[in-house]
Amino acid sequence: MKKFQLRIFSISLIVLLVITTTGLVAGAWFLKDWEDKVTKKFEGRKWDFASKIYSDSYHLYVGANLRLDDLTEKLRRLGYYETSAPPKSQGAYQINAAAGSVDIFLHDFDFPTEKVKGYPVRIRLLGNSVSGIENLSENTEKFDLELEPEVVTGLYQRIWQERRVVKLAEVPPLLIKSILAVEDERFFSHLGVDPIGIMRAMLVNLRHLSLQQGGSTLTQQLMKNFLLSDERTLSRKFPEAVMALIAERKYSKEVILENYLNEIYLGQRGSQGISGVWEAAQFYFSKPLSELTVGQTALLAGLIRAPNRLSPYRNAEAAIKRRNVVLAKLRDDKIITQKQYDAALKEQLPQRALVKVTNEAPFYVDYLRRELDQNYPKDVLEKDGLRIFTGLDLRLQKIAEKALTEGLAKLEASHPALKKKNAEEGLEGAIVVVRPQTGEIKAMVGGRNYQKSQFNRVFQAKRQAGSVFKPFVYLAAFLHGGQSGTQYFPDTVVNDSQFTWNYDHGQSWQPNNYNNDYYGAVTVSRALESSLNSATARVAQDVGIRRVREIARRLGIESSLPAVPSLSLGSAEVTPLEVAVAFSTLANGGVRARSVAVKHVMDQNTKVLEKRDVRLEQVINPSLAYTMNQLLKGVMDRGTGAAARRWGFTRPAAGKTGTTNDYKDAWFVGYTPELLAVVWVGYDGPAKIGLSGSEAALPIWTEFMKAATANMPVTDFVSPSVPGSETSEDAPAEKCGSATREGEPPGAPCPPAPAKPAEPV
Amino acid sequence: MLIPKKRLSKFAGYAMALAVTWSCAPQRPYRAPIPRSSAPAPSTRVAPPPAPPVEAVRKPLPQESKIREQDIRIAPAPKLTPAPASKDAKEPTKQASISEPRGSSEAAPAPSAPPLADDSSLLAKITPGVSPQRAASLRLTEEGRKLLDAGDPAKAITRLERTIVIDSTNGYGYFYLAKAQHRMGHYQQSLNLLEVAQSRLAGEPFWMSELYALRGENYRALGQAQKAETSYHQSLRINSGNQTASDALARMSGESPAAAK
Repeated sequence: MKKFQLRIFSISLIVLLVITTTGLVAGAWFLKDWEDKVTKKFEGRKWDFASKIYSDSYHLYVGANLRLDDLTEKLRRLGYYETSAPPKSQGAYQINAAAGSVDIFLHDFDFPTEKVKGYPVRIRLLGNSVSGIENLSENTEKFDLELEPEVVTGLYQRIWQERRVVKLAEVPPLLIKSILAVEDERFFSHLGVDPIGIMRAMLVNLRHLSLQQGGSTLTQQLMKNFLLSDERTLSRKFPEAVMALIAERKYSKEVILENYLNEIYLGQRGSQGISGVWEAAQFYFSKPLSELTVGQTALLAGLIRAPNRLSPYRNAEAAIKRRNVVLAKLRDDKIITQKQYDAALKEQLPQRALVKVTNEAPFYVDYLRRELDQNYPKDVLEKDGLRIFTGLDLRLQKIAEKALTEGLAKLEASHPALKKKNAEEGLEGAIVVVRPQTGEIKAMVGGRNYQKSQFNRVFQAKRQAGSVFKPFVYLAAFLHGGQSGTQYFPDTVVNDSQFTWNYDHGQSWQPNNYNNDYYGAVTVSRALESSLNSATARVAQDVGIRRVREIARRLGIESSLPAVPSLSLGSAEVTPLEVAVAFSTLANGGVRARSVAVKHVMDQNTKVLEKRDVRLEQVINPSLAYTMNQLLKGVMDRGTGAAARRWGFTRPAAGKTGTTNDYKDAWFVGYTPELLAVVWVGYDGPAKIGLSGSEAALPIWTEFMKAATANMPVTDFVSPSVPGSETSEDAPAEKCGSATREGEPPGAPCPPAPAKPAEPV
Repeated sequence: MLIPKKRLSKFAGYAMALAVTWSCAPQRPYRAPIPRSSAPAPSTRVAPPPAPPVEAVRKPLPQESKIREQDIRIAPAPKLTPAPASKDAKEPTKQASISEPRGSSEAAPAPSAPPLADDSSLLAKITPGVSPQRAASLRLTEEGRKLLDAGDPAKAITRLERTIVIDSTNGYGYFYLAKAQHRMGHYQQSLNLLEVAQSRLAGEPFWMSELYALRGENYRALGQAQKAETSYHQSLRINSGNQTASDALARMSGESPAAAK
């Protein structure tokens, strides 16, 4: 029996030893693992920095058209706030209606080519234009002013935490003391875990019978944020405490505190999280840390407990209440005097609306992301905090998006057959907006609903160009003449009748007109205005399809262009972006500008990594471009685009409709000298929309251009023989003579064009 | 009359513009217009507008007709060291009376025009009739010029790009953009910009002379001595006081006597 008991005892001892040894080994292993993690975090890369994408900056100059409403909306979006007194600090502005001026205290901003320190400026308005710009700090007149660009979105992995890392010495002592006072009073005396704090928290929790306080030290909070999940469980508390002890053993209090001040989460702006005290000071007060007042310091310290619930943007009352609690604590702890306390209580919170960062140009961002991916690895883009400056104009982007979504909805309402049962196969569209002079892509909407489909039809969808291609035929004809010896001019009479084009040893092709109506002898200008297929194909045959292809290439079409007769009527598949580049070349007097979305890329230290200059090349003679612009103005004034006049777009513009012969694609490309937009409407699949470019795409283009060019000066295309700008206050003088549907003959009813431009001049 | 008179006058306008296309095109090998009588067009050409002389459309400079690309595709270029970027471009030359530059007098195949008055001040061009856009664009151009003088072409480019956004007819903006690109060592891009500037500065001899001189500097930097020399000569033909061109020709003749011949 004794032997048996001894045996049991021995076994138990062995088991105990094994368990103890295993526990010790496992504990040591865990400790080692946690120590490695802490060391790696402290000594390695602590944070990822999302790259930020900026819109184009807002350039104002004396004489520029500017409405007060547009300016204040821009200021609001940039995070400025209105005050009733002259602005004394960055981010404030005051409207002086009596004097017709707006005083703005500009933000600091690091532009790609210069760092601008915020200063007060006065913009004087006379009517709807800028009459003067004054630097109020120097009392000097300026002729132009650049407002900083807007943040469009960030490029990041999982979550976007916006922060700027600061050294401990850069943080005001009062802010440090305030944070310690409310978050961890015994920070400089504990070893990472504060038993007194834990006891206090337990008492509070017991009293409320719920988890009210954690009793965590700053070190524990830092460990949680650095290495652990956000869940508030006891199982997480143990490693958190052990890691805090490890961190305190390995690193100084100052190192831990500095990391905490940079790590701490302090608010949310849309998809952008605000982390660290520097970023928070900017977000809430547009100030550097060194300029924070006592009240603002207390508010920031108080926010740590619940950044969103106590945010002055969301709940000013709660924010003030919490601030006052912190101020009282600071006074009681003799950190501030009674006088400072009294003064801080009277501090007003700036009344400002939260402008959330929500990606308003997702298709544009996807496009430039592809551009960036060619030069920057994914990790660099999402972790290195690059600053990417683009040509995006958020105002135009919104207008384009609205025009497209509303335009497509209207089309479906007026043509119920367009509405598919399956939403996946619904009617789609795309719009791209380009500034011809520089090639900057100002706006891009690649589809109807980004959430449903991220397929960007502006540059990913190749569709038949249809009649949009015809101007290339006539350009080639003007440039080279026909193989028959015919010289082509806008008034050259061509034959619009059925014919068969025999080519390539035995193959033949027969172009047909719309409704199979043929008009015999017509001028080139009439053939283009009315988009007559047969006449155009005859010209292409005479000129030679290779020359047509060559001119299309020269203007900027990069897709494959098979040298077949049907190319003359746009059988080749191209993207809307290519069409935009090609017609921009015409708008720009024969000068092709490389399309640009990304303009500058800077690193975190404001070093310019890349600058994409405007790249120009004169690819066709200015006179030839001018002639084509005049012909395409005819399309707008008398031809297939004339409905735009009836719908109120009356400023000088050139344009061309496009409809594929199977009615799958509807296009409209149109431009003023300063702005070009291409609209495509169709289905992603093989279905037909059964509408022409003038029926489906032109209404969307017109709505976009009316809103986009409102308040812009009216300009016309300048003849190359007349140097200097010509600004006209009137709409085009030419009246509609015979508006036509695509392919329709001259003589169709003319839409009544308003006598005066509808847009404000 | 088949076509109303009003339409005829419009067509005549088109024809004039097209005539410039044919007659002035500097770059592309245009098909020479065939005399109308010998053109068996398949379609009857109604009311053929006679191609007007170039002068009717714009007044070219006497030398301008010789600026076609094909005119300067001449013999193989002698070997030359590309000019350093920092020294290449000079400001619009001040009209100091200059002695006959060495080399230029030897090399110039045509008599030079007398020195032109200095027209380099852009602010002087802001007169009461000038549109606000033009005025702002000119001021920005002036700022860009100053930045170039201060040796900051990258910043100058950013400013100068704004000039063409505000007023795309501002040829000076394109000229200084070309100059900034030249300073950055982007010679081909500079040549492209000069081509754009050319159509906008056509009526301004002083600036055309500057343009040709800068074109010469670009060709020289690209090692195309023959084209460079031709450009310098074109500059001096318009304005014999162009210091950049005369200095460059003198330098070229010093470097390679063949270049001056």
